Amino acid sequence: MSAYRLSSGGLVDRSKVLSFTFDGRPLRGLAGDTLASALLANDQLLVGRSFKYHRPRGIVSAGPSEPNALVTLGSGARSDPNTKATVAELYSGLTAKSQNRWPSLGFDVGAVNGLLSPFLGAGFYYKTFMWPRQLWEKLYEPVIRRAAGLGRAVLERDPESYEKSWAFCDLLVVGGGPAGLMAALTAGRAGLRVILADEDFRLGGSLLSETETIDGSPASAFADRVAAELRSLDNVTLLSRTTVFGWYDDNVFGAVERVQKHVAEPSAKLPTERVWRIAAKRALLATGAEERPLVFGGNDRPGVMMGGAIGTYAERYGVSAGKSVAIFTSGSSGYRTARGLAARGMSVSTIVDSRPDAVDAAPDGVRVVRSGSIIDTKGSKRLSGIVVERSGYEELIACDALGMSGGWSPVIHLACQRGGRPVWSEDLKAFAAPDVGGGLRVIGAANGVYTLSGCLRDGAGKAAAIAEELGFHAAEAPLPVIDAEVEPSFAALWYVPGAKSKAFVDFQNDVHAKDLGLALREGFGHVEHAKRYTTSGMATDQGKLSNINAVGILAGMRGVSPAEVGTTTFRPFYTPVSFGALAGTSRDTHATPTRKSPLHEWAKKNGATFVDSGLWFRSAWFPRGGEKTWRESVDREVLNVRANVGICDVSTLGKIEVFGVDAAEFLNRLYCNPMLKLPVGKARYGLMLREDGFVFDDGTVSRLADDHFFVTTTTAMAGAVMSHMEYCAQALWPDLKVRFCSVSDQWAQMAIAGPKARDVLQQLLDEDISETAFPFLSARATALRGGINARLFRISFSGELAFELAVPAGYGEAVADQIMEAGRAHDICAYGVEALNVLRLEKGLLTHAEFDGRVTPDDAGLGRMFSAQKPDFIGKHLSARYGLTAADRMQLVGLKLVDKDKEKDMRAGAHLLKEGMKPSTLNDQGWVSSAGYSPVLGQHIALAFLKSGRERYGEKIVVWDRLRDHEVTAEVCDPVFVGSENTKLKA
Amino acid sequence: MVRDYNNRHALDQKLRGTPKPANADHLEVSHWQAIATVLAHAGLDAAVERALSSTPDLSLRYCGPGEWLVVSHVDTPVGLMRRLDMLCGTQAHVVDQSDGRVLLRLSGPSARTILAKGIGVDLHPAAFAHGGSTNVLCGHIAVNLMASGADVFELIVARSFAESLFDDLMAMGRQFDISSAFSE
Repeated sequence: MSAYRLSSGGLVDRSKVLSFTFDGRPLRGLAGDTLASALLANDQLLVGRSFKYHRPRGIVSAGPSEPNALVTLGSGARSDPNTKATVAELYSGLTAKSQNRWPSLGFDVGAVNGLLSPFLGAGFYYKTFMWPRQLWEKLYEPVIRRAAGLGRAVLERDPESYEKSWAFCDLLVVGGGPAGLMAALTAGRAGLRVILADEDFRLGGSLLSETETIDGSPASAFADRVAAELRSLDNVTLLSRTTVFGWYDDNVFGAVERVQKHVAEPSAKLPTERVWRIAAKRALLATGAEERPLVFGGNDRPGVMMGGAIGTYAERYGVSAGKSVAIFTSGSSGYRTARGLAARGMSVSTIVDSRPDAVDAAPDGVRVVRSGSIIDTKGSKRLSGIVVERSGYEELIACDALGMSGGWSPVIHLACQRGGRPVWSEDLKAFAAPDVGGGLRVIGAANGVYTLSGCLRDGAGKAAAIAEELGFHAAEAPLPVIDAEVEPSFAALWYVPGAKSKAFVDFQNDVHAKDLGLALREGFGHVEHAKRYTTSGMATDQGKLSNINAVGILAGMRGVSPAEVGTTTFRPFYTPVSFGALAGTSRDTHATPTRKSPLHEWAKKNGATFVDSGLWFRSAWFPRGGEKTWRESVDREVLNVRANVGICDVSTLGKIEVFGVDAAEFLNRLYCNPMLKLPVGKARYGLMLREDGFVFDDGTVSRLADDHFFVTTTTAMAGAVMSHMEYCAQALWPDLKVRFCSVSDQWAQMAIAGPKARDVLQQLLDEDISETAFPFLSARATALRGGINARLFRISFSGELAFELAVPAGYGEAVADQIMEAGRAHDICAYGVEALNVLRLEKGLLTHAEFDGRVTPDDAGLGRMFSAQKPDFIGKHLSARYGLTAADRMQLVGLKLVDKDKEKDMRAGAHLLKEGMKPSTLNDQGWVSSAGYSPVLGQHIALAFLKSGRERYGEKIVVWDRLRDHEVTAEVCDPVFVGSENTKLKA
Repeated sequence: MVRDYNNRHALDQKLRGTPKPANADHLEVSHWQAIATVLAHAGLDAAVERALSSTPDLSLRYCGPGEWLVVSHVDTPVGLMRRLDMLCGTQAHVVDQSDGRVLLRLSGPSARTILAKGIGVDLHPAAFAHGGSTNVLCGHIAVNLMASGADVFELIVARSFAESLFDDLMAMGRQFDISSAFSE
């Protein structure tokens, strides 16, 4: 036993004992503990195995920079790999498992990698790519993947729920330490809308482990007082357990709140995590500073920790990291830590100070070794002693915990996420935040202000300045008084010479000082190259502790200043964020909205099978008793429409009302066929092109009055056509007096098609809809008997006598019911989009299966619609391009299977080959766009695009389906398979 | 054949049944109201807005330059069209949307917090004042949002999206035990 819980002190609740397990071992901690502090209190120092060499590793830090203590929390689908034990809040029932060890943490087979380390130097991974090549897939890759690693992702479905929220504020304060609290308080009192985000579960930051007093009471009491006042202010929002991970354009910050990560039984009403997008007028970065580890031989032995972390465990958690603590420091902070520990009654044996002439006072009875260095450590799975060297004299000093203190680096990650590079400060011997403008300013230790009173002053001052900028006034308030504080000074010490064993720079990635030398020698000395080559600064911690030393060592090796080496690039996220949190609620049925037709319930009660069609649910077919396959239902529906009558929901089509004295001119320019002289009361098929001459969309245009048109689009392109129209009206022809709006949702629209369509529909209408009164392509507003407003169109997508009837959406179901009732005597049936598709296929009518963005009007056999007489319309000019008029373009044709064998069919996507040609895309003659079974013809038919197709009717062609590895022979024919004389349409 | 046709509300499947008592945060849906799109002729935006906003019982929601949704709880859809034609028929185009739009009213102390889970505009009264309206996205769905009271917001959504929006709002409000019902 060496780490233990102190008999008193700390901000833990000693009356509230929490049970948890680590690798199955039941342990106890206290409310207010992190998992790391509870593990230390149980003397569980060994927490993981290192990435590459599988070396035993212990807790190093007491915060989010932790490189070693990564554990998997929870089990099964609720497992959370790579959780930092140093920030994980302890709760009763928590289960934690160590990672990257096999078979157990204490005995790990992978540790043999340590013996292979001469072969596993920097870049070894890349070198395995080079030679011998055949070993890569078979040997290196699988072995490396298995050996190297962090926690394992769970493949089960994540049962947690997540959400996102927006927030807006005048001032966002990132970090709730002394500077952040003081800034939030100043701004909050002045009346600004303030958000204070802090990643800890308790506000206070360094105040919680501070040994100095504020206004005569403990610093943590001051933090509690400020937090209480902030909580009482309506204009202040406190977000604890919230990490601000990114800074984005327009001063928007991303943050993740761990709402229920600290409870064993999460409430179903709350998300586990919540992602915040915070739009802030101003932001203050109060993220503090990170203490630097020292790079000396054997510095990764469990028991070697950050000096400040040992202090935090003692002050905040009442836990002693060891029975006998030594400190290795290059500045005054090591002494301050030693004094704090001594005051808590812990035993500090030695301070090894790299400086020759420090004036800092060590606690009574503590030996100070000036100009000293540590060149090795002893112990197997935990520290038992250090080898101290001075002027060639080596001495073994026994200790079971060692605190490293190599000076401080401001945490400026967020400030550098939008392109600003950190600036080397010779004064601070650290990289400082660049000036990134007034939106984001840096305060406190993050700003290189290291005294407590300085942090409070910096926070209050900058917040008051922001208040003034935004038109508020911050009243002067006296700053709290701090007793006897020390300005921490330190000497930069990047590398401790004389190492007798590996001196690690990056603990998480097992990068030691010699790896950086190798990178430099092999031409990867640039800091960005060195990072990739050695992996220093990669993985989950992104080098929070290690980067600065790597830069310092590279600078030393190259004989230049760290300013010249620079840093690697800072990017979101500051710490890892789960994919679940980023997805938020956008999963399962909430991933995309579902759109339902006003006839959805009608279709449902008529037994429809539905199909997803974009966001829509559309009725696909309506099975009846005895029908075993979808084809049986579809064949019946098609034959019934051709023989009697059917009704189909076409409400999903896009519908746009176009108004204005220039509406006709506007539409004339949008469509490639003429629209200017469309008579009132008439509908016309219209084809829209893109600027490049290819077909964009098709639909109908009906003129309801001189200055009022009703336009339909395909279901899929409804939104795109509307945007296109907005663009044309606003950007291309702002002079045209035209207004339009979508009415897609206002109307329930149904097609009534078949020879008996008129007989059925006439029963609902007083108005005469005979061939003479309401001929083909009529369009007008009308009213149903009973007074419902309606619109009636004589248009057909089946080649049959057909009407489309639109009624206000809420009445759709009742009207469709009425049509079914009126049609009962005429054997009416409901038909779905599958039958609709066969009906149009038999007539050679086109959809976006044909209009795939590569098809011109002429390709599609619609060349006569291209009105060359019109002065201009979208797509006209680029249609004259050589490639678009070439004689061998693929043209629309029909295909009929030569062999009437019902087992053989054609599918869309198949390619066409001349008979006898080798199946290869080199011999490609065209492709099938739509295919189906025609119950009228009793055979499989298809629409296809074939080179010079219209000259090739009668030719036999091979339909080659590479996916199914299947070939059939078909005859090329006119794409209108059924009733080419169109007599039924106009009956 | 002459008959009365029933008008089925888009949220009928979601809200049918005996009403439950409303909680503090409540989503209320009217069985009916009349809604129309008004599109001002070029250059007449201000005149149309004046004519509409000075008329009692009409509530105006901004959709874009010269474009509004007009809501009436006293007119029938046909009646509203007639009234709007008289008010501004020569200055604007008027389109009935009563069946094409669904109006949902969210009220309660947590209304802003609930909406902030889907809507990326600042809903603080200082930024989005009582009476203000705008087109926004709520999650993936386009809505027109109006601050219609101190803690009351009205969302107007296209009918085909109404069920999805309803489900989203109920999920966003689960933390506050949001309730929902048709208006009495």
